[in-house]
Amino acid sequence: MPGRLTGIPAAPGIARGPVWRYRPRGAAGVPVVAVSSRGEAELRIRRAAAAAAAQLQALAQRLCDLDHPGDAEILEAQALMAIDPAIVEEAVRLARSGLDPVEAVLASAETSAEALASLDDALLAARAADVRDVAVRVVRALSGAHLELPMVPSVAVADDIPPSLLAEMPPGLLLGVALAGGSPTAHVAILARSLGLPAVVAVEALLDAVHGASEIAIDGETGAIFVDPDSAELQALADRQAIRGDRDRAATALRGTPAATADGQRVVLLANIRSADDATRALEAGADGVGLFRTEYLFMRRQSAPTEADQTSEYRRAMEAFGPGRPVVIRMADIGGDKPIPYLGRPEEPNPFLGVRAIRLGHESRELLLTQLRAIWRAAGLAGVTPYVMAPMVATIADARLLIELRDEAREAVVASGAECPDRMVTGVMIEVPSAAILAPELARLVDFFSIGTNDLTQYVLAADRGNPSLAGLQDALHPAVLRTIATVVAGADAAGIPVAACGELAGDPAGALVLVGLGVDELSAEPRLLDGIRAALADVTGGQVRELAARALAATDAETVRAYAREILDAKG
Amino acid sequence: MYDSEESVVKSIEVEVRSESGLHARPAAAFVRAAAKFASAIRLENVTTGRPSADAKSIVGVMTAGVEHGHLVRVIADGPDEDRAVEMLRGILARIDRTAGK
Repeated sequence: MPGRLTGIPAAPGIARGPVWRYRPRGAAGVPVVAVSSRGEAELRIRRAAAAAAAQLQALAQRLCDLDHPGDAEILEAQALMAIDPAIVEEAVRLARSGLDPVEAVLASAETSAEALASLDDALLAARAADVRDVAVRVVRALSGAHLELPMVPSVAVADDIPPSLLAEMPPGLLLGVALAGGSPTAHVAILARSLGLPAVVAVEALLDAVHGASEIAIDGETGAIFVDPDSAELQALADRQAIRGDRDRAATALRGTPAATADGQRVVLLANIRSADDATRALEAGADGVGLFRTEYLFMRRQSAPTEADQTSEYRRAMEAFGPGRPVVIRMADIGGDKPIPYLGRPEEPNPFLGVRAIRLGHESRELLLTQLRAIWRAAGLAGVTPYVMAPMVATIADARLLIELRDEAREAVVASGAECPDRMVTGVMIEVPSAAILAPELARLVDFFSIGTNDLTQYVLAADRGNPSLAGLQDALHPAVLRTIATVVAGADAAGIPVAACGELAGDPAGALVLVGLGVDELSAEPRLLDGIRAALADVTGGQVRELAARALAATDAETVRAYAREILDAKG
Repeated sequence: MYDSEESVVKSIEVEVRSESGLHARPAAAFVRAAAKFASAIRLENVTTGRPSADAKSIVGVMTAGVEHGHLVRVIADGPDEDRAVEMLRGILARIDRTAGK
């Protein structure tokens, strides 16, 4: 049908409105700033620099709140560049000598950028681009042309959109986002989800299709795009929106009841948290416990590692919030990959996702891991609960043995100190590296549980960098290659009689949750706000239905087919 | 009160043992700390002998090209110069101490 396109759903919801075609532009086209005196030029340059730094700092904070501390650090460095005295003073000097303020800022920044670009060091030379970006932002603040904004609330259509633009957009002015490029894991998608903006990405032929169009409607759950929709299409969308409203209300009503299929098969529903404060939100969402406490956030944005006492108190608070009956699975700090920790002083790696990450730090930073394990033992002793721990990035049997060895060494130290200490720690490994999935039968005999990290497992099984938008089509955890890997893991766990949890984004997506439960995954762990949706999706299906769905999914050869199978079940239940 | 007549420029030397030297992230921490002081502060890479840079300039500090094993000099001049060099030494030392073993 003409005018109908499909992309990858990136943020749920339906949006309909005028097309706002966003085209990135550099400093070119920025109007010359009229100033009445050279003193005024100086003042305006200083103010613009400060404003740009404040914007960048606010964006850094926002990215940090949204789980992207690595990118936040880059923005923080950029905030310092905006007020860099070398750049600002040179710009002021040029403006005093009569240069237009915009030209002065650009020329001054270019001098600094060239100094960086000329360095022998490729990493530092790459910062030259950051300086030039910052200069454009300062110039925008200077000319008052903050952003090109849509005139009326609209759906943004672009090849790609910088996350900073989305973060800066006044609330209400954007109704949704449709991108020809991008990926569901890109920052712009993550921001869209957190801002509640429906988004569809990787829409082929989108830019040609919207040429000359006035209206667009997007469905962030199915990925459907309607350019200049007709009345039948709009009616269908409105109906779907109404059904989802009913479904969401029904889902909220189920909160507080145990998650189970319609025929009574129980599924343990856990929450992903990253601080003890999140435990409250998890409890409110009706979580049966915590399936993933991402402790690396305690290690970020600081000058040195958190102390054993700091960690003990944080873990204890989370454990006490849930009490003895409900597990709080503490994941050992997943450091490395996209979450580098500067104070470890590790060399930059060309390929950090395949580098010294997480448990692999156990050799060179043994004390870092031991400190964390001692804190977990102590916290559990103080809270009077059984501790749960799991290690990320386990790839080999030796990695699992290292975890157990460190765990036992940490306990000996705590016991020797005379502190209260539980007898045992329920110990698991994350399955996110293909080798661990292949070794599942042997690993299962060493540990008490598995937790499948579907995001990393997908990236490693399909060899597709999570952060690379050109590979968006390969970043779908519903790909049968990933699902078949998960089936192997479940089989290995079943043979040894240990439970399997899943804690990636797949577990929080209703379609993914049904497939995972059908594959035999016992526990699902997701962001607290997603638990209602999973509980409702499960309540509408039988164990037989999800097993049949899983069997069909395993026989498929692409993710789109699997998604369509899942939708058949979800939509049938409305 | 601070009396410029009696002031001597305060200067320390530190060997940077951090594996990544003063790359973007450690440089940002260093610059943020330096910017808190009223004193003029400069960072000089003694090892390479490059001209010294304004310690409050992130571009300047990055351009100093400080790598693992380089000797750097921090020079402060102003009312809080003692506290400034101590604080910056602390930051450089912290980066040193937590460097990969």
